[in-house]
Amino acid sequence: MTRPYVPWFLLAIALTLAAVYLFPLYWMYVTSLKSGSEIFANPPTFWPVEPDLSIYPSVWFRRTMQTFMWNSVLIASGVTAITVLLGTGCAYVLARYRSGWIDFGLFMILMLQVLPASVMITPLFVGFNQLGLLNYPRTAVVLAAAAKAMPFFVVLVRATFMSVPRELEEAALVDGNSRIGAFFNIVLPLARNGILVCAILTFMSSFGEYIYSKSIIQNGAMQPASVGLSGFLGPNSSDWNSIMAYSAIYVTPILAVFVLLQRRIVSGLTSGALK
Amino acid sequence: MARFFNSMRDGIGFDLILVGAAMVFLLALAGLPLVYNILMSFQQVDMFTLGDLFRPLAGLTNYVAVVNAPEFWLVTKNTLIFVFTSMAGQFVLGFSLALFFAQNFPGAATIRGLFLVSWVMPGLVVGAIWSWILAGDFGVLNTILKAMGIIEAPIFWKSDPNFSIWAVVIANIWLGLAFNMLLLSVGLAAIPRDLYEAAELDGANAFQRFWTITLPMMRSTIGAVLSLGLIGTLQQFDLFPALTEGGPANTSNVAGYWAWQMSFKLYDFAKGATISVMMFVLVLIASVVYVRSTRHEVRG
Repeated sequence: MTRPYVPWFLLAIALTLAAVYLFPLYWMYVTSLKSGSEIFANPPTFWPVEPDLSIYPSVWFRRTMQTFMWNSVLIASGVTAITVLLGTGCAYVLARYRSGWIDFGLFMILMLQVLPASVMITPLFVGFNQLGLLNYPRTAVVLAAAAKAMPFFVVLVRATFMSVPRELEEAALVDGNSRIGAFFNIVLPLARNGILVCAILTFMSSFGEYIYSKSIIQNGAMQPASVGLSGFLGPNSSDWNSIMAYSAIYVTPILAVFVLLQRRIVSGLTSGALK
Repeated sequence: MARFFNSMRDGIGFDLILVGAAMVFLLALAGLPLVYNILMSFQQVDMFTLGDLFRPLAGLTNYVAVVNAPEFWLVTKNTLIFVFTSMAGQFVLGFSLALFFAQNFPGAATIRGLFLVSWVMPGLVVGAIWSWILAGDFGVLNTILKAMGIIEAPIFWKSDPNFSIWAVVIANIWLGLAFNMLLLSVGLAAIPRDLYEAAELDGANAFQRFWTITLPMMRSTIGAVLSLGLIGTLQQFDLFPALTEGGPANTSNVAGYWAWQMSFKLYDFAKGATISVMMFVLVLIASVVYVRSTRHEVRG
């Protein structure tokens, strides 16, 4: 093989690897388009014989997905709002100073980042029960999930603030800005893109939040789409084309946002997660 | 008083408010529950005392009961299998892919970025898709494996006690692989090119270059990736309800899901808290390793 062909050969391998890796996604969409009898064909068909889109509206109405999706949006918006409002300032201060206290704060945040939700849910549930917060289950889930999302957000946004040159802020202070003025007029606009990407990541991950909602929200009208999906999913489920159609409706918005912002998300993640 | 407001606007008070608001929130919703969890693991908690803060003390009885539970050792074994095989799979496959995508060819970065979709998808949806792929009778994985001549009879991944934990491991490797690959790619990109050129001039072959340059240069990245993998695997929950619900007969149950079952299926909150505390100790060890491996960067 001569040299100029090597990159194209590698590209072909890369595309094959990506196809193998993304096969589960393909399988979700293909299964959702198959009829109830075709999904049990043996051997399975890799392209639906009669692609049938009518399952999408039928699953949407039959499983009351409108309510579920709306609740997911509500919960994810609440989590993102709290995380961005509280987390941005915290990340800014942690990025701006170097001292023993700051190191200690950062250490605490890294520790909180690693707490599994399955460890936190028992005390949170009992505590919320004592405070009466279980009567406002969606609020309770938002609070719990925001505490889970915030450490990761702070670590990522701190990396963004580290890349804003300190001199710009100092120049603004010399020009007579107050600290608040310099923060809102200089630092925030410069870090805006990084914060936005991290906010979108927070939204996407809390859009799929499951364990807190499943444990805390008993009322079906307030549950998010993840709990709605678990309602007809289990070791013995068989209604696969409906399950896959539900999943497809649920994840397609997330996938679309991800594909659109892929480059930014990847660079935002890589700058923060290791630094 | 004026000085106080001035400091809020223009001095150290401004920083304290910014950092304090987040810290108070995190302490109230993460720190406090953690302490409360430890307290509960030493108390008798039942439906009548659920609303009290000071319940009858139970000493170590909760811990003794958990350790003596018939499924305790099975769950411990499963947790270890789940954590270590998931980590190993994610790391080895992630590292291989990272090395491959570090080659110079058109579209490398874009295609690599596509892999990350697995990471942004809700865990429950990933579980649902894999549950269908791994189905015993009509699952597509069995069909593919049979066509390739690897297996004779279909494997009932989710209901065969010998395979149920592996069903979750496979799904978890798929889920975490992309994130591992991405972080390792960053580490690879940071190795100076001229090191490789010098080694090549000295006659080192590809394997020697990997062994004497790539691995040593990647040490801190590998440490961080492995501990993040451990943490991520211990946090994994959504795949269990979607795939096996810990069954059959706890053969795919792990500590995190067991703790949740205790609290929310059996309403035995004290035992749920006890298992959580035990798991927290595990996580603590993992995070100390993680913080140590990122420390030089924390100190900036």
